[in-house]
Amino acid sequence: MPALSGELVVFGFASFLALAFALLMVVQKTPVRSVLSLVVTFFGLSVLAILLAAPFIAALQIFVYAGAILVLFLFVIMLLNLKEETADKDDRPVQRTLGLLVALALGGLLAGATLRAPVPPRGPLTGPRIPMPDEIPALGRLLFSDYLFAFEVLSLLLLVAAVGALLLSKRRFE
Amino acid sequence: MTGALPGVAPMAVPPGAFLVVATLLFAIGLAGALLKRNALSIFLSIELMLNAVNLLFLTYARMRGDLAGQMIVFFVIAVAAAEAAVGLAIFVALFRTHRTVDVDKIALLKW
Amino acid sequence: MSPALATALEGAAKIAFVWGVVLGAVLPNLIWVERRMAGLIQDRPGPNRVGPFGLLQAIADILKMFMKEDVVPMYADRLLHTIAPLILLVPAMTTFAVIPFGSSIHLFGRDIPLVIADVNIGILYVFALTSIGIYGLVLAGWASNNKFALMGGLRSSAQVISYELAMGIAAISVLLAAGSLRLTKVVEYQASGTFLGFLPLWNCFPQALGCMIFVVSAFAETNRLPFDLPEAEAELVAGYHTEYSAFRFGMFFMAEYLNLIAASAMMATLYFGGWSLPGLHPTGILGGVISIAVFAAKTGFFIFLFVWVRWTLPRFRFDQLMNLGWKVFLPLSLLNLIVTGALVLWGVV
Repeated sequence: MPALSGELVVFGFASFLALAFALLMVVQKTPVRSVLSLVVTFFGLSVLAILLAAPFIAALQIFVYAGAILVLFLFVIMLLNLKEETADKDDRPVQRTLGLLVALALGGLLAGATLRAPVPPRGPLTGPRIPMPDEIPALGRLLFSDYLFAFEVLSLLLLVAAVGALLLSKRRFE
Repeated sequence: MTGALPGVAPMAVPPGAFLVVATLLFAIGLAGALLKRNALSIFLSIELMLNAVNLLFLTYARMRGDLAGQMIVFFVIAVAAAEAAVGLAIFVALFRTHRTVDVDKIALLKW
Repeated sequence: MSPALATALEGAAKIAFVWGVVLGAVLPNLIWVERRMAGLIQDRPGPNRVGPFGLLQAIADILKMFMKEDVVPMYADRLLHTIAPLILLVPAMTTFAVIPFGSSIHLFGRDIPLVIADVNIGILYVFALTSIGIYGLVLAGWASNNKFALMGGLRSSAQVISYELAMGIAAISVLLAAGSLRLTKVVEYQASGTFLGFLPLWNCFPQALGCMIFVVSAFAETNRLPFDLPEAEAELVAGYHTEYSAFRFGMFFMAEYLNLIAASAMMATLYFGGWSLPGLHPTGILGGVISIAVFAAKTGFFIFLFVWVRWTLPRFRFDQLMNLGWKVFLPLSLLNLIVTGALVLWGVV
């Protein structure tokens, strides 16, 4: 049993927040409340990222994921004016129960396998050693040296996504 | 599973705990993707699964003491942004023809 | 006294100081300053009945907020209607945690930097919080079950997202020059030399374009005139806070003013040298107090600028606003980034 430290308390709180609101997200019937529950989950994940010596990723999680992607979700939900899910004739209860069982079984299996897996091997590091006091310059250097090709492809991908989204959602006047 | 490697500072919280949280989140996301009828809710569950995997990458990066794991997470976040934009555009276009985003109703290749 | 306890006490003292000053001194006086300056600019007295020169007007306003009836529209989503002002208020309050309000002072044998949390992602933290505020705007509009409120909420959030981009790229230029996202490093960088020999190395001189973009975008981010179409009284009733009364409206009000103060503090820190003055090297407690005073003066100047512009300029139309944000500011901020990169490469900055 590890000693009770501030980090443990913060970890307990953040993981409880993340898990509880993820469950809420799945259970909610209204899409707007699902999005908001997911925002709180992302906050919890962001705090967990800070505990894992990744403050830059934590800030990116809030800035990009919670603050931009989920806002986009919210806009689309409001645009389509999506209401609650209601039960009707096209429901498939058997499929849903099977789905829930599969998800639970897979979750248990994955948790068991992950915990039993050995400690990652002491192979050569592919990047600078963490934790370090300020990893942002190191990340920048890594991005523009080892991962330069991926970075350029990523910017192309974002351009394609923006143009594609524009084209797909254009109203066709026929 | 202590995750203790020589040369890396020990973690105050046991890394197994992070791995369990990430796996549980993945399972919850999977359950949501299988159970929900609303296409946007399914998409949200998929985003949750992506984030669970991000947490796994960050945990392993911290355990090995390697910054490259955080680089991978950076790319996953950016790709998820692109995917969300295109996916939502598809749903909007789908809604225009079918007037619903209920995946049980959009069950025919040709309406 | 154990080091953990000392650190906790130090943090608590700093938080108490910052919140005490901002919520207790700056906010009420800001309300008074805004209304008196409005009167001055519009050639009328402004509030002068409550207390000497109307100085207790803020207290009267706050009392009024508490006393009014709290109305929630009938078909509105109660939960969302309640939490929307909170989502706007909390980021506005927590932005102050990373802004350095003075140099470090040496007290009780410890070096205490005058910033609540010196995180290494300072600038990014502020922007992350701003993007959370968007939820407050959208939800306030959506949860009010009112067409005008929804229009106001959507317009407001679209505006915030658009100008956040140009503002972020302008801040990246500051990162490029200072070499770190940590706000204390940014201020130290600006205090560390001169630009072209005679000007202080404040970022507003080599990055004048970026400074202008940041200042104007801050007006758009805080929903202040000339970008306050979402709250436009003449067109949208009251925009996203139409269906809010009493204390919840008070929370929106407070959130707007806190955002204003935080934006002024950020401008002073990122572009105008924060707590530093050229030729001043603060040491000891007196130096700390002087640096706090310098920071307060710079922030005060920007607050004054915000209030002055509000009562002087007319309002932008929404399409002009979006045009400006995407087609003018985004390319200009990228240009600023390239020029700053060149200056850093040639060692001028």
